[in-house]
Amino acid sequence: MSMGRRAHEFRRIVQDPTLLLGLLVAVLFVAVAVVWPVLRMVGASLTAEATPLFAKLVTKRVYQRIMLNTVILGLGVAALGTALGFLFAFVQVRLDVPCKRFMHLMALVPIVSPPFAVATAAITLFGRSGIISYRLLGLQYNIYGLNGLLFVLSLSFFTVAYLNLAGMLRALDPAIDEAAINLGAGKWHVFRTITLPMLVPGIAGSFLLLFVEAIADLANPLVLGGDFTVLASRIYMAITGEYDVVAGAVLSVILLVPSLAVFVVQRYWVGRRSVVSVTGRPSGRPQRITAPVARWGLFAVTMACSLLILLIYGTVVVGAFTQLLGINNTLTLEHFNFVTFGYGSKAMTDTTALSALATPISGLLGMLIAFLVVRKQFTGKSALDFGAMLGIAVPGTVLGIGYLLAFNRPITVGGLTLLPKLTGGAGLLGGALAIIIAYVVRSVPAAVRSGTAALQQIDPAIEEASTNLGADSATTFRRVTLPLTRPALLSGLIYSFARSMTSLSAIIFLTTPNTRIMTAQILNEVDAGRFGNAFAYCVILIAIVLGAIGILYAVVGSTTGAERALEARG
Amino acid sequence: MNRRTLTVMALLALAFALIACQPAAATPVPPPQAPAESTKPAPKPEKLTVLCGAQEDWCQAMTKAFEAETGVKTSFVRMSSGEALARIRATKDSPEFSIWHGGPADGYIAATNEGLLVAYDSPSAAKIPASYKDANGHWNGVYVGALGFCSNKDVLARLGVATPTSWADLLNPKLKGQVSMAHPASSGTAYTALWTQITLNGGDVDKGFAYFRNLHNNILQYTKSGSAPGQMAGRGEVATAVIFSHDCVKFNEEGMNSLVVSFPSEGTGYEIGGVAIIKGGPEQEAAKMYVDWALTSKAQEIPPTVKSYQLPTNPDASVSAKSVKLSEVKTVEYDFIKSGEQKSGLAERFDSEIAPAPKQ
Repeated sequence: MSMGRRAHEFRRIVQDPTLLLGLLVAVLFVAVAVVWPVLRMVGASLTAEATPLFAKLVTKRVYQRIMLNTVILGLGVAALGTALGFLFAFVQVRLDVPCKRFMHLMALVPIVSPPFAVATAAITLFGRSGIISYRLLGLQYNIYGLNGLLFVLSLSFFTVAYLNLAGMLRALDPAIDEAAINLGAGKWHVFRTITLPMLVPGIAGSFLLLFVEAIADLANPLVLGGDFTVLASRIYMAITGEYDVVAGAVLSVILLVPSLAVFVVQRYWVGRRSVVSVTGRPSGRPQRITAPVARWGLFAVTMACSLLILLIYGTVVVGAFTQLLGINNTLTLEHFNFVTFGYGSKAMTDTTALSALATPISGLLGMLIAFLVVRKQFTGKSALDFGAMLGIAVPGTVLGIGYLLAFNRPITVGGLTLLPKLTGGAGLLGGALAIIIAYVVRSVPAAVRSGTAALQQIDPAIEEASTNLGADSATTFRRVTLPLTRPALLSGLIYSFARSMTSLSAIIFLTTPNTRIMTAQILNEVDAGRFGNAFAYCVILIAIVLGAIGILYAVVGSTTGAERALEARG
Repeated sequence: MNRRTLTVMALLALAFALIACQPAAATPVPPPQAPAESTKPAPKPEKLTVLCGAQEDWCQAMTKAFEAETGVKTSFVRMSSGEALARIRATKDSPEFSIWHGGPADGYIAATNEGLLVAYDSPSAAKIPASYKDANGHWNGVYVGALGFCSNKDVLARLGVATPTSWADLLNPKLKGQVSMAHPASSGTAYTALWTQITLNGGDVDKGFAYFRNLHNNILQYTKSGSAPGQMAGRGEVATAVIFSHDCVKFNEEGMNSLVVSFPSEGTGYEIGGVAIIKGGPEQEAAKMYVDWALTSKAQEIPPTVKSYQLPTNPDASVSAKSVKLSEVKTVEYDFIKSGEQKSGLAERFDSEIAPAPKQ
């Protein structure tokens, strides 16, 4: 790039103060809240103190096993979850069967579900003395270990794959299928040689996303791991048991490597292979599967999975109202009493308040970054986009430890405090700000993605018209771009709130005596074995999220259905 | 252009990080915060934050009662013993808590040795027997409880195994994957079990660890908090759990009727639940009031109301009929001073040697 062009660009940015401000905000956010904590963590793992730990990790059989377990779990969940998502999506788009709406809803439930809900319900139902496994069938099924984790994690995370693939299946042009059939191909042949190859980017994308989610999850291995130890649970023990931040950082770096690799592959390889045009509108109705065996077979499997999900969440609700589900089935309000009148009420208000604060910030920030990336030209654009998306590529546990390292003391330059201490009870606002920032970082990627998708659908000519009529960047963004992208903003907001309310791994190391977070309280209850209280917390949390979605609709408004808004995200 | 931009950004970020890292590495300790309210006459304290190591409902009942009696607004966070010690250590420059209440004394002794606790000569401490408190007043005992086995008799019957009555019984191959205990790094309960085993082997640490390496084959899962294995046994997920006996009685009373308590014939360990003031904690005056109160018989009679049946340390406090008297159980010579000194090292060794090891 020539100096002349750079000078020109600089002048252009300075002349547009809104662009300048927007850029400043976005870059500052990415640098301080995402990049710096991660670098700080990598830095901590490169100190002399950490070297022997690395040596131990590489040479000891025990740790090799743990790393292998982590990869096995990640691959297993990615494969199963993607398959499940594909199944649900395929039935939804390509099959003419009853109860599709029910199956669709069941596939969406995990979005509003707190961690542990599936795991605790699964133990109650399918544990060694489980209601179904033992009391009903008399089986001595061992749910602890890889089997149980695969089951629970796939059911918890497959929604992402479902939304991605359903969107892609709908966008496929049926004309291609028709052409193939007209040329004499059978339906199976069409599926194998056309549909599947077209979906490869979607399948690969979902696979990689699920892989990251699975290896980062710390909630489920804690209750269901048995002797199947993974990195995330070792990180948790290192921090809670010894508060050994260096060991945590070392383990985190090891967890970070595959996550980042997967992220980069997804971004630069899968993204490029996308064959589905973003703007192309499918013409005509997609081919439906009519062969009775395929049709009803697929229906039966999907329906069974949907009923299983219903059963699991039903167990959560029933469990919240019973003494000890499976052992003492007396109805009681005791758990709600404990949860709402104990310290739970503070957890409820704290978590809701912090999530509610984080939601508009991430929604607007996401839209801003999407706007800058799609509409504006400036040096470092792809770096900004990459940095913003890192929030989802970096495992939550890793981010939390990064925050502990980066914000546990004031940041001063030459005696001037730039940023006060953020983490811990003595941190700014009792540590609440650190939690809000963590929430925002985790939610922004989805907001950016839905914003980008929405902006790409809007002709820039509309915005240019506004500028030509004399409006500046800010007015155009506020009066033209935002209203046009409202559905995307809404879906970003809903997703952000749900994600904040249900996130555990990113904030588990950031809670303080002054900030009580519901998911951390659920962890306490599950860890202490009081499932009834955990169920009650889950029910309340789900109710809060659903209530908030209702309020968001009333405030932001939309003509589309709730699920359609969520789909736009994928 | 993209790649170049990326490189520039990365270099900039790296430089930024390096600058920012400097103070962390170079300056040894950030300037200590001036201890609040050290000279001026203290007004009536308004609030208190307690780090609580016992069961959640115990913590709730205690802090509520203290608040009702003194008007000091009291909140708590529950943490297992190892977790609590680690947190106090990590935040010693600006402590979040002023009081640590509940959980085995080993942790309190470890904290005393690291200079994390304040010596306080409470007027109420005179009542407490010398064996249940620190001579210098760094911590005081509030309850005593014996370690035991908490077994689900239905599951045992299903497996054809008799109720375990010795440490050796837990190694029965029929109990593979049917025993649960907590992780000694986070849980004081599990650490008590670890030290008991070392004591039973005449203080030989390696022999103590050898026992746990064997037991490891029968362990389903190491939990974070000490009493959780009792709940697992109560739900029938495991046959037996190594926990404090009073927690087992509590779970039984709360509806897990298949649970039975037994004690190892070789001898068992016990805990002295402590209370202590955290050095530099933000509410020192309220903390003193809290210690004075926690050692009274009145405070020590609260736990049975939430089905917690530890023995009170104050001889004036009435003892519930459901409490296990230490005189009725064979206990080991539990050296709290030594166990406290070695706590961190042993917990770490367990964490790297035993917990992640594959099973045979």
